[in-house]
Amino acid sequence: MIARTDAERNEYRHVWVVAELRPGEVESVTWELLGAGRRLADARGCELWCVLLGKGTAGLAGECFARGADAALVVDDPGLEHFVDEAHANALSALIRKHKPEIVLCGATARGRALIPRVAVQIHAGLTADCTGLEIEPDSGLLLQTRPAFGGNIIATIKSADHRPQMATVRPRVMVEPPIDPARSGRLVRESFDPAWASKLARVLEAIRHAGDGVRLGDADFIVAGGRAMGGKKGFDMLRGLAEVVGGALGASRAAVDAGWIDYAHQVGQTGTTVQPKCYLACGISGQIQHLVGMQSADLIIAIDKNPEAPMMKLADYAIEGDVFEIVPAMIEEIRRL
Amino acid sequence: MKIVACIKQVPGTNDCTIDPETKRLKREGVEAVLNPFDLYALEQAMLLREAVGGEVIALSMGPPQAETSLREALSCGTDRGVLLCDRAFAGSDTWATSYALATAIRHLGGVELVLCGKQAVDGDTAQVGPGIAAHLGWPQATYVSAMPGVEGKRLTVRRMNEDGHDVLEVDLPAVMTVVKDLNTPRVPTLRSCLAARKATVTVLTAADIGADARCLGLDGSPTRVVKTSPPPPRGTKTVHIAGDGRTCARQIVHELRMKSLV
Amino acid sequence: MANEPDRVFHVELLSPKQKSPKLEADLDLFAEKYRKVLDAGHVACITDNPMGILSFQGTELIDVLGLPVRPEQVSIHLNTFHTKKDLDGILTQAIAMGIDNLLAISGDGSPRLPKLTGKDIGNAVESVTAVELIRYIHREYPDQFTVGVAFNPYEPPAHEMEKMRRKVDAGAAYVTTQPIIESHETLEQLETFGIPIVIECWMSRKLHLLAECVGYEIPEDTPYDPMANLRTLMARYPHCEFYLALLGFKTQFPLLEQACA
Repeated sequence: MIARTDAERNEYRHVWVVAELRPGEVESVTWELLGAGRRLADARGCELWCVLLGKGTAGLAGECFARGADAALVVDDPGLEHFVDEAHANALSALIRKHKPEIVLCGATARGRALIPRVAVQIHAGLTADCTGLEIEPDSGLLLQTRPAFGGNIIATIKSADHRPQMATVRPRVMVEPPIDPARSGRLVRESFDPAWASKLARVLEAIRHAGDGVRLGDADFIVAGGRAMGGKKGFDMLRGLAEVVGGALGASRAAVDAGWIDYAHQVGQTGTTVQPKCYLACGISGQIQHLVGMQSADLIIAIDKNPEAPMMKLADYAIEGDVFEIVPAMIEEIRRL
Repeated sequence: MKIVACIKQVPGTNDCTIDPETKRLKREGVEAVLNPFDLYALEQAMLLREAVGGEVIALSMGPPQAETSLREALSCGTDRGVLLCDRAFAGSDTWATSYALATAIRHLGGVELVLCGKQAVDGDTAQVGPGIAAHLGWPQATYVSAMPGVEGKRLTVRRMNEDGHDVLEVDLPAVMTVVKDLNTPRVPTLRSCLAARKATVTVLTAADIGADARCLGLDGSPTRVVKTSPPPPRGTKTVHIAGDGRTCARQIVHELRMKSLV
Repeated sequence: MANEPDRVFHVELLSPKQKSPKLEADLDLFAEKYRKVLDAGHVACITDNPMGILSFQGTELIDVLGLPVRPEQVSIHLNTFHTKKDLDGILTQAIAMGIDNLLAISGDGSPRLPKLTGKDIGNAVESVTAVELIRYIHREYPDQFTVGVAFNPYEPPAHEMEKMRRKVDAGAAYVTTQPIIESHETLEQLETFGIPIVIECWMSRKLHLLAECVGYEIPEDTPYDPMANLRTLMARYPHCEFYLALLGFKTQFPLLEQACA
């Protein structure tokens, strides 16, 4: 909503975190955002709310308080059991219009990226996606939203001065989870589901979970990724072995995915997933730019390749010149020995 | 089915070197290209037209040079190319951009499906697709990886998420954003390229589509970029490790141990 | 009536790029070169998305530009970066036009190009190389094509020879090499396969452009006389044929007859 005058802006108070839910549980990105939200709420001298929209959500409020929320705004209704974009967006928009938060945060997950942009338009608010930094500007009290653009080559700082709430999404693993304080309590704000929110135009027929490799690429702290040099599915089986012993996820270059050696879900890069793990181990990936833009923000980059001149080897913090098929099995052995 | 495929012209990423000091990617002399994700939206529009008949319009908001990307879309087989071009649009954030595109879609009239790529590789926000849906008040489906059901007024789609997928049934008109899994973009033929060069790309201004000036450009954008800076340099010089498999493995695992990564 | 020259050269014609800002001019130039090659009695060899750059197909160029086909004088490159549908389309069109000579290569991909999968061509093998491509062509279109393959003397010889063996077993009928400067020891070994050898001669003065091909840096100002190299190759390998890359049509083409003298 437009808020040009101080009087209008002052109507908006509190920091909200819209929880990311799976059946019966809260995803950890929510805790990470409560951590960031707590900082912002303290700087603004206001409350931190956690918003739980779904079915069976009332029981999740306690965890939110333990993670720092002062209040839990709960809509617990079968009407929100499945994620139908319009219904969830209508619900969140209505709640925002009623309660007027100053700041709304949400995880930049598949669901968050579907929901929040729709809400931002519906309520005429500013939204910054994939923020890597959130601060309160001391003079103005405005939310400073920092994010990378142009494949990470520019860091942009963004403000929404004249619209409220100020909305931002943040990727998992960017903010830090706050510790659990079981002694903390908060208050429950219950709202009922308005049938007008329901969508007549879309419905979820089935919700299917894939029997995945376990660790999700976007969330992983450690990614073991393979490229063209892996030569086939067997090469990726070997990398999977390494990913397992380090408790990490399996990634791949476009070349490997296109060759049919591994699913698109594992593709890292411009037309795949952008990742920011603690460690990215690139095995036989030459480092085409479309791949590099997808992982260059990793804290630590290790590359194994026969070609010391490959772009990935130049980018890496540790460049290991050698045969992946010798080094990876040796690494697995070494790690098992630890 | 009357389909609009939204496309965007973005900076290309072909030439780059790695700055040895900062380890940052330095892009050099990059030409503008069609946003890679949009090719999947275009292809899906073509496939739907082949299946149920209708018309496909490629729509883009951009500067005059964005016309070349619309011609590329035409060479893939779209029936029309429409460029929203007006100084009034300059400086638009995603709210204002999706407003302009939604207004143009309303102006085109009778549109039943809007297809967008998952995100643009320069902005990376993935906000415009759902934004268009919200401005139009239409249902949406994002990260569509399959479209198994196509009936006159309804689509059944697979919507990807981190854990798997949902099967969604969506009534038309609707807006969808698509991912790579959905199809394989066709390669333009010589005939279609030659036809595309001769085709007329319609240029529409803000006035043409009846856009509210207050919702356009910098003034119409709730968000504003107040600062840009280069990212902090990676700082570390590359450490080279060589030797036989065992030696290298031992050395790197040691480093990982020191950093508590294993 | 086509010439019958003393020696028939395979002349490489780079297919016009899709993104060219002067497409019509490129097409005219292509057609002009093609006709020149055919009229002089040589073989026109049309490339397939060289270096992964989206270009037009040989068969569609001949079709749309109304170019003549003389079966012994046209060869089309074919790589593995196509959909099955497009691949079959090219092969079917080639047959309809009377083109029966193909050069099957793995090729260079790019984000814009699709790729044949093992499933497409009915193979258990996941990745499709020239070997699988040849097998597919001979299986689906038996007795329709003479298919050649590429040989790279700058790759480790044991590896290249083993690949060559597999290509020949799959049905390769001739082999075209990467550019050779004066001579190369592996050419003798190639003869053991018993199929015709076509040696590529680099006809541009810019030898440094071959750096990536040969795998080492070549200084930009390295003196190089393409015509002299061609004469040297013809003298050293009299039983081979020659593939001319980057032939200058204004300056070199008229000199080809003299080269044979």
